[in-house]
Amino acid sequence: MAGSDEYDYLFKIVLIGDSGVGKSNLLSRFTRNEFNLESKSTIGVEFATRSIQVDSKTIKAQIWDTAGQERYRAITSAYYRGAVGALLVYDIAKHPTYENVTRWLTELRDHADSNIVIMLVGNKSDLRHLRAVPTDEAKQFAAENGLFFIETSALDSSNVEQSFQQILTEIYRIVSNKAIESSQDNAHLGSGAQPIHVPAVTDYDKMTSGCC
Amino acid sequence: MDADGHWAQGSAAAAAAFWRRSPAFTPSTVRIQYSGSARAPLRDAELAPEKAGPDSASGGSPALADAECGDADTPETPGSRASGADAGADAGADAGGDPVLQKFHAALSVASIDLAQLQRLSWKGIPRQFRGTAWRLLMGYLPLNASRRDPTLQRKRREYDDWVSQTFARGEESLDRALWHQIRIDVPRTMPGSPIFQAPRVQRGLERVLYCWAARHPASGFVQGINDLLTPFFYVFMEPHLPATLGGAEQAAAAIDALDGAVVAAVEADSFWCLTKLLDGIQDNYTHAQPGIQRQIVKMKELVARIDGGLAAHLDAEGVEYIQFAFRWMNCLLMREVNLESTVRMWDTYFAEPDGFSSFHIYVCAAFLLKWSKELAQLDFQQILFFLQQPPTASWSAKDVELLLSEAYMYKCLYHDSPSHYASSAPGKR
Repeated sequence: MAGSDEYDYLFKIVLIGDSGVGKSNLLSRFTRNEFNLESKSTIGVEFATRSIQVDSKTIKAQIWDTAGQERYRAITSAYYRGAVGALLVYDIAKHPTYENVTRWLTELRDHADSNIVIMLVGNKSDLRHLRAVPTDEAKQFAAENGLFFIETSALDSSNVEQSFQQILTEIYRIVSNKAIESSQDNAHLGSGAQPIHVPAVTDYDKMTSGCC
Repeated sequence: MDADGHWAQGSAAAAAAFWRRSPAFTPSTVRIQYSGSARAPLRDAELAPEKAGPDSASGGSPALADAECGDADTPETPGSRASGADAGADAGADAGGDPVLQKFHAALSVASIDLAQLQRLSWKGIPRQFRGTAWRLLMGYLPLNASRRDPTLQRKRREYDDWVSQTFARGEESLDRALWHQIRIDVPRTMPGSPIFQAPRVQRGLERVLYCWAARHPASGFVQGINDLLTPFFYVFMEPHLPATLGGAEQAAAAIDALDGAVVAAVEADSFWCLTKLLDGIQDNYTHAQPGIQRQIVKMKELVARIDGGLAAHLDAEGVEYIQFAFRWMNCLLMREVNLESTVRMWDTYFAEPDGFSSFHIYVCAAFLLKWSKELAQLDFQQILFFLQQPPTASWSAKDVELLLSEAYMYKCLYHDSPSHYASSAPGKR
């Protein structure tokens, strides 16, 4: 009987981006250290979790992997609610998947909390000879749009751990700063900040049913 | 429902008892030579165009594959008969000693096929060697009247071929870029474990079918998962032409490459038309916001609450929403949850049920969920989702599928057209 796994914080993260950029494999690499060249397309949404340690706190990431195809937006965008982080993935070897990043940002603006932490992820960095998106260009785009940026390869594992670590750590910093601020001046947080205002060790799983 | 239909949808034990009662046939009584018989039953292999033989255009009942009837085996159980391991185009053997084979043989031998009778028979599973033909008939693609079959097949196959030629005449550059791109991404990851579907010749066929279908149905276009729905047709229509044992991907690809061009073209065209018929019935599953699926999920949730209030309450208490797990069940008709053989067996019944793919499927999904009621009751939100994302169906055989279908049928009988049945007593009801 699990469900007894303890954590200090539970953060809901969404994985978004065009079809075929490797979202599901990033997730399986991070949560199970698995990579499958022959994985099927994701239909709707799939779910996985993993806990990491930051500053001796246990942070549990509840990650929702979404289908990339446009037709599924109506279904998948419902999962943006309550998400405190988003990994926006493109394929460094397929320029159109990078061009579509702006459309995905619009999706997030329309459906996610305004203070969601977004990391731009250029996946498939192992495909050096096929690179179509220069690292500097993506890095600059990310900086201009207030996104974190990293290049990963779910295939050879490079930077996968770091990408999730970094976004979870950032969220943790924001949350713990907010917690300090709010305890100092007793300020009320806007409703948008609600999801990341997480009390320690709570049975938080149920929040997905729509508490936020 | 006649006696036949009745027991089959009842318990497996009743069905098994029926088989034991069935008269045994000795090989000598069933050794029938079909070749050249005007009243021979339709079998899959014959639906493929002849290899440009002199009598291939002679109309009437086409020449049959010259397979001799095989020996009678011990009567099989309903579970095993639909999934024998080695029936190919040359398996012959139709009527054997198996009463089910004989019934199909008889049902398909007549000049004008009785659809209701074929549906009743098919509900319980279609023997492999009759499946392609039965599916084409049940879908309304192949006319029930024997004299109309050949002209219809010729016309439909030609029509599809013309579309393909027109569509792809000017190369990939002339195609809808986004649509073609999506199809090209998804075809290689369609049935990735299956040697047949990794064969380049099959993949090119899937691409053409999906593109042609999507281009003609702009309201939905190609939606991920539709590629899954195409595979049972390709599989069932192509399988009779393949060697009994395929081996690995390379051998399968070689066997498929060795097939006659007209055979492969016919498989592709028939798959296109049958996919079209299938999707006609569930088109709003794939239009904007997928209202068909949303509706099905609501119905399934209500149904589960009426059947198993405890489970419904538990899912609710854990914050599990049906869309989180059942979306895929609807979008891919449970094809991601069971293997291809199981899907094919399910479809035998779906074709025989009124609104099998829309309405009956909801009962099947409810039965599928309820199957794990005890396990789920012990799990929390996260574990429930993990469990339902990968239900323990890897070892499922036709028997498991048939039990599931029987349970679904029972729920349908109890709850269909009785929307308030048990509703008030179910604690999980809204």
